[in-house]
Amino acid sequence: MSKPGRTCRIVLSHLLRLLRCRRRMAAAAAGINKQGAVATMEPCIRHGRGASGNTVKVLECGVCEDVFSLQGDKVPRLLLCGHTVCHDCLTRLPLHGRAVRCPFDRQVTELGDSGVWGLKKNFALLELLERLQNGATNQSGMAEDALKGMGECIIRCDEDESHTASMYCTVCATHLCAECSQLTHSTRTLAKHRRVPLADKPHEKTLCPQHQVHAIEFVCLEEACQSGPLMCCVCKEYGKHQGHKHAVLETEANQIRASILDMAHCIRTFTDEVSEYSRKLVGIVQQIEGGEQIVEDGVGMAHTEHVPGTAESARSCVRAYFADLHETLCRQEEMALSVVDAHVRERLIWLRQQQEDMTILLSQVSTACLHCEKTLQQDDCRVVLAKQEISCLLETLQKQQHQFTELADHIQLDAGIPVTFTKDNRVHIGPKMEIRVVTLGLDGAGKTTILFKLKQDEFMQPIPTIGFNVETVEYKNLKFTIWDVGGKHKLRPLWKHYYLNTQAVVFVIDSCHRDRLMEAHSELAKLLTEKELRDALLLIFANKQDVPGVVSVEEMTELLSLHKLCCGRSWHIQGCDARSGMGLHEGLDWLSRQLVAAGVLDVA
Amino acid sequence: MKHFLRVVTQFFVFLYCKLLWRGLKFVVRKFTGRCELQRICYNNKHGARRTLKIESSLRYSKNGLLQSALSVHPDKVEKTIDDIMALKKINPDTNPQLGISLQASLLQIVGYRSLVMEVEKLRREPYDCENAEHEDTLMKLWKELRPDTPLTGRISKQWCEIGFQGSDPKTDFRGMGLLGLHNLLYFAEHDKATALQMLNDSLQPKHKYVKTLHLNVYHTMANYSFAIVGINITDLAHSLLVSGALKTHLYNVAPEMPSLLHFQQTFCYLMQEFHRFWIEEDPSDIMEFNRVRSKFHRRILRQLKNPDMALCPHFSASDLHLVNL
Repeated sequence: MSKPGRTCRIVLSHLLRLLRCRRRMAAAAAGINKQGAVATMEPCIRHGRGASGNTVKVLECGVCEDVFSLQGDKVPRLLLCGHTVCHDCLTRLPLHGRAVRCPFDRQVTELGDSGVWGLKKNFALLELLERLQNGATNQSGMAEDALKGMGECIIRCDEDESHTASMYCTVCATHLCAECSQLTHSTRTLAKHRRVPLADKPHEKTLCPQHQVHAIEFVCLEEACQSGPLMCCVCKEYGKHQGHKHAVLETEANQIRASILDMAHCIRTFTDEVSEYSRKLVGIVQQIEGGEQIVEDGVGMAHTEHVPGTAESARSCVRAYFADLHETLCRQEEMALSVVDAHVRERLIWLRQQQEDMTILLSQVSTACLHCEKTLQQDDCRVVLAKQEISCLLETLQKQQHQFTELADHIQLDAGIPVTFTKDNRVHIGPKMEIRVVTLGLDGAGKTTILFKLKQDEFMQPIPTIGFNVETVEYKNLKFTIWDVGGKHKLRPLWKHYYLNTQAVVFVIDSCHRDRLMEAHSELAKLLTEKELRDALLLIFANKQDVPGVVSVEEMTELLSLHKLCCGRSWHIQGCDARSGMGLHEGLDWLSRQLVAAGVLDVA
Repeated sequence: MKHFLRVVTQFFVFLYCKLLWRGLKFVVRKFTGRCELQRICYNNKHGARRTLKIESSLRYSKNGLLQSALSVHPDKVEKTIDDIMALKKINPDTNPQLGISLQASLLQIVGYRSLVMEVEKLRREPYDCENAEHEDTLMKLWKELRPDTPLTGRISKQWCEIGFQGSDPKTDFRGMGLLGLHNLLYFAEHDKATALQMLNDSLQPKHKYVKTLHLNVYHTMANYSFAIVGINITDLAHSLLVSGALKTHLYNVAPEMPSLLHFQQTFCYLMQEFHRFWIEEDPSDIMEFNRVRSKFHRRILRQLKNPDMALCPHFSASDLHLVNL
């Protein structure tokens, strides 16, 4: 491997470690691992970590970012260029002959016979470190005192029960306070023991359940052993995992940690998304509810302004619509009332006129009677003379009587005013409501046949209609005036003369002529664009349903795309058969239902 | 009082119909020595006047033989005449004319009935695309009316040119069946001049320039479709025939049995007359067709009230050789 490559790898590993939040623990564990020390199983309770963490953070190795220590692997050593790197990292640096390159500025430092150990320790840094650590211990001691009263669990120094432990010797696996640490580890050999702040105390090694003396150091990678993958060196070499693929526990754990971190990252983005969404929800709720908002006007004066929410605007929309409706209804009511008033007025005038006529007639008759009586009392000569006059009188009387009887035959002396309402809230007075219907369709569709079937209830093969036929058909309380206009090509432009005042269009389609459906469709489409027919009802008769193999009503709806074509108007398609009259009355029923306000139909 | 009078009148009419009429007939017969049929035959010229009277006389007769004479088969007419002569005790030798005129009238009456049946049968026969004869007739019609233009196909837009509604003339024959087709063909063959004139008018609507006070109005003269007008007029002729109104004409025209030919000639007459009538009426557009048609119908009915009326078509000289009566 090339030299710069290795350096790069160190820098990379340094970056990787930056990402790991628990890197200290891992590094400590690795350190202990190298020394082959076995940690005692003691509960570790961290405390005062914040304070010591903050102070020590400054004095970290620039490569591994591990905290410098006074002795051991993490001792700071000076390079020729003046940079300080921990002992551990220096041993890992690649050798160029007998020299190492500074990882920061790549200057070369010659090593003596003793190698890395020959480089001078950075004593200034060590002194500083010592001072800082002492200060931290004092601080943490004070914090502990404060915490004691609160019943916090505190780890005692193993040397003296009265002391509070602040360090942990990774070699002796003892908890020590700063003083006892100095005392117990004063000899040269012991001084080399790596002691870490209590917060950085490594996890205890878990022991193998089969081989109680060995710690678990490896993880089996075999698929079959996934239920119990942990193993110690004995398991690995001779035990049940002999010959299995394996990995070092630490790297495996780190991998898992990395994946957990990744997952945590994912979860964080997910949480972000969720919170974003909920924030949006809050915004929407606010938009719906509306509320006060501080708005700055043109002069710069801030004042609260009521911003209407969508709920409010919807409500006002509904209110406006119904207000409009009320207004229309009022207008329609007034119009209907005026129609009734006009009818009543007309009728009363007529009746009064009749009354007057009757009075005049009565007086005329009585005068005639008087005249007759007078004549009776006169002498013979005068009676004879009056004969002509009297006969003339009698004649006029008879004429009047005749007129009267004729009149009496014609008048319906019925005080009732039958009233019907149309769907558009117009009022109709009279026993039958008249409706103008125009029947259209291609030639030979059966318009005339339907008309005559409705009119006379008989089937006849008609001749081609030239011009139109018009018939009135009474059905229930409706009187349909049906205009049947010829369907010949030449006549179609003339259809429009029949549109005016037409309440309904009946479009007849020959269901057994598949190839003419498109022609019918185009005619129907043309019809629907007519302005005069905008409000007209549309009844489509799919005629000749009796013929086998005919286009069914559903299929025709589909083929002519009626739903799209007749969008926004009231329409209905009715299968029928003019031969038997099947479906025709259902069609008229639909028309009458559409034209007459519900309920009135049954009453009338 | 008036009501009473009405009742009395009705009573006397009833009495007359039931008894007095027969009594009167009896008295007259005794007085003149001739039976009713004899009187009719001697007093009326041959034609509708005589035949109509004979028909009503036979219909209201109380004798079964005379009544059934109306519906006798044409071949047995001679025998029936002999029977009637025997029944009425008329000597054929002394009255040679009676037998002949009676036979002619009876043939007309019977012939009319069979003509109605024949026409009805034709009308009820729907146009059949599978039938080669029907197809040939249709093609012949095209060739007569458009001799210069070949037909591109059996189903073609060209049919509209001669006034059918769509590209398939079959649909237009639904009401009148083959009768319509035969009539149209007869008209086109035997009165080519008028037919082509009508067709021409319908194809190129002439505009009559009418100057009114302020605005100029264009009036279409004969802007209707030839073929479907023909079918409509066939319907008119058919209804006239079925209602019996054509009896006057046919009894006047046909010396013996009226045939389909007579009916077709009547159709030609009606087409000619209608065309003239339409132009006289000068309707503003085709939508007035039914109004004009019913007016025309009423006019024809009025004309046929006159027992001397005959609806003879005016054939142009060039077409006369085709008319074989």
